[in-house]
Amino acid sequence: MSVETAAQLDTQIAFKNFDFFYGSFHALKSINLDIYKGLVTAFIGPSGCGKSTLLRTINRMYDLYPEQYAKGELNISGRNVIAKDVDLYDLRAKVGMVFQKPTPFPMSIYENIAFGVRLHEKLSKSEMDDRVEWALKRAALWDEVKDKLGQSGMSLSGGQQQRLCIARGVAVKPQILLLDEPTSALDPISTLRIEELIAQLRGEFTIVIVTHNMQQAARISDYTAYMYLGEMVEYGVTDEVFIKPKKKETEDYITGRFG
Amino acid sequence: MDLHAKRKLTNKVALVLSLIAMAFGLFWLVWILWTTLQLGVSGLSVSLFTQMTPAPGSPGGLANAIVGSLIMVSLATVIGTPFGILAAVYLTEYGQHSWLGSTTQFINDILLSAPSIVIGLFVYAVYVAQVGNFSGFAGVLALALIVIPVVLRTSSDMLRLVPNSLREAAYALGAPKWKVITMIALRASRAGIITGVLLAVARIAGETAPLLFTALSNQFWSTDITEPMANLPVTIFKFAMSPFTDWQQLAWAGVFIITMGVLALNIAARILFKNRI
Ligand SMILES: Nc1ncnc2c1ncn2[C@@H]1O[C@H](COP(=O)(O)OP(=O)(O)O)[C@@H](O)[C@H]1O
Ligand SMILES: [Mg+2]
Repeated sequence: MSVETAAQLDTQIAFKNFDFFYGSFHALKSINLDIYKGLVTAFIGPSGCGKSTLLRTINRMYDLYPEQYAKGELNISGRNVIAKDVDLYDLRAKVGMVFQKPTPFPMSIYENIAFGVRLHEKLSKSEMDDRVEWALKRAALWDEVKDKLGQSGMSLSGGQQQRLCIARGVAVKPQILLLDEPTSALDPISTLRIEELIAQLRGEFTIVIVTHNMQQAARISDYTAYMYLGEMVEYGVTDEVFIKPKKKETEDYITGRFG
Repeated sequence: MDLHAKRKLTNKVALVLSLIAMAFGLFWLVWILWTTLQLGVSGLSVSLFTQMTPAPGSPGGLANAIVGSLIMVSLATVIGTPFGILAAVYLTEYGQHSWLGSTTQFINDILLSAPSIVIGLFVYAVYVAQVGNFSGFAGVLALALIVIPVVLRTSSDMLRLVPNSLREAAYALGAPKWKVITMIALRASRAGIITGVLLAVARIAGETAPLLFTALSNQFWSTDITEPMANLPVTIFKFAMSPFTDWQQLAWAGVFIITMGVLALNIAARILFKNRI
């Protein structure tokens, strides 16, 4: 995967001395990280190292839980979104998220997509139809569901459900897509389709993906961040991180000597 | 004996024991249904649904009792259900970790297992004795007080079964809390919640004790809920205990109607829950 030259890189998300706490548990320690616009960035590391935690700060998912809080700076498009006065609805319109297990809503395929769009835009029926079609096409699901848009989203297969969830996120036209181990519950063929899809969405969206599968990170990402025990151990161009990591810990993890 | 044969034997013993247990349970159930059917069906006739409860020795039916029961059970369900569901929403979506939430849950569980005669006496003491007369409305209050804990319990159990990731997925799209609750959580659990309501209806349809002190009964046709109101359970109680065979016959017909109604509700609940809409 080619990486634009440094001069063209445009920072979309910037963590600066960022800390995160689950109550008294210090889960992320002084994270500094620039995530670039339009590229795919992967978070890797052993289970429990804080990948999901870091991902879920980007749309302030942690706000749902009173005992969780963050310190430091998390700048998205230059604005510190950790600040109290940030409009969470606007933030979440800009940042879509897909979870480990598919989460289709208990409604039709069409309504699954329209639900998020209606939260932020007033569209006419035909505009909504177009948006639903557009989103399903972007998620490479249109051909499979175009004749059954009225059917429950839960009637789809696991892989289709996950693409539906991606379509649902894409439909809101966010700038950033967060994916938390989106293929870990899927079979190899569905996994491959999701990976192809991520390659197609690259460029249009800034994609951040958590994966415990190192081959996957190597295949689909431009940048890779290796985390361990809540710390950012190494971050750089994926090929470099995998071929000649700067840190010994990263090398041990990647070569399977640990983790 | 090797391990494999041992396991096979254990399996067989367990199977036989559970079959015996099942047969024991089924035996009584079938007997009850059979008696109801035998004694009830012979009392079935058109006049059962068109004529009022009679004096001993004269012809009559259960029309006023059937209608009275329908009115009170429907009103109690309509009044009790929203309280139950809203309280369940509070418990699962707002007050999970709060002092008020866990206290409410605890009190509700007590109410759920409170004997229904206690509810009847309670409504008698705080309402009937104050206003000075028995009434259909007092009966409705007592039945609604039974509906609330049943609906609350089933609804909160169902809402808790909704995976948190589903709520998070809706929040992640920028949905406000009330939309997440109404469009996602309640929707995902609606089959279970409706099942709970149906089971509550089945429960109150046959309750006698809470009506004895509240709605009492009424020999005549009346749809005025400020007056004593005829109803199936109390009529059955009165008629079955009487020495008159025609009254006893009507009591069995009433038992048959309630049994069939409750059975239909249970089957409906089952089908609904299976399809989860
Ligand atoms: N809700 C929570 N409350 C308390 N600790 C948590 C919670 N979620 C995760 N943690 C802890 O935070 C650390 C990082 O977890 P997580 O981000 O889920 O790891 P990963 O996604 O890398 O497997 C782990 O030690 C985990 O036990
Ligand atoms: Mg994780």
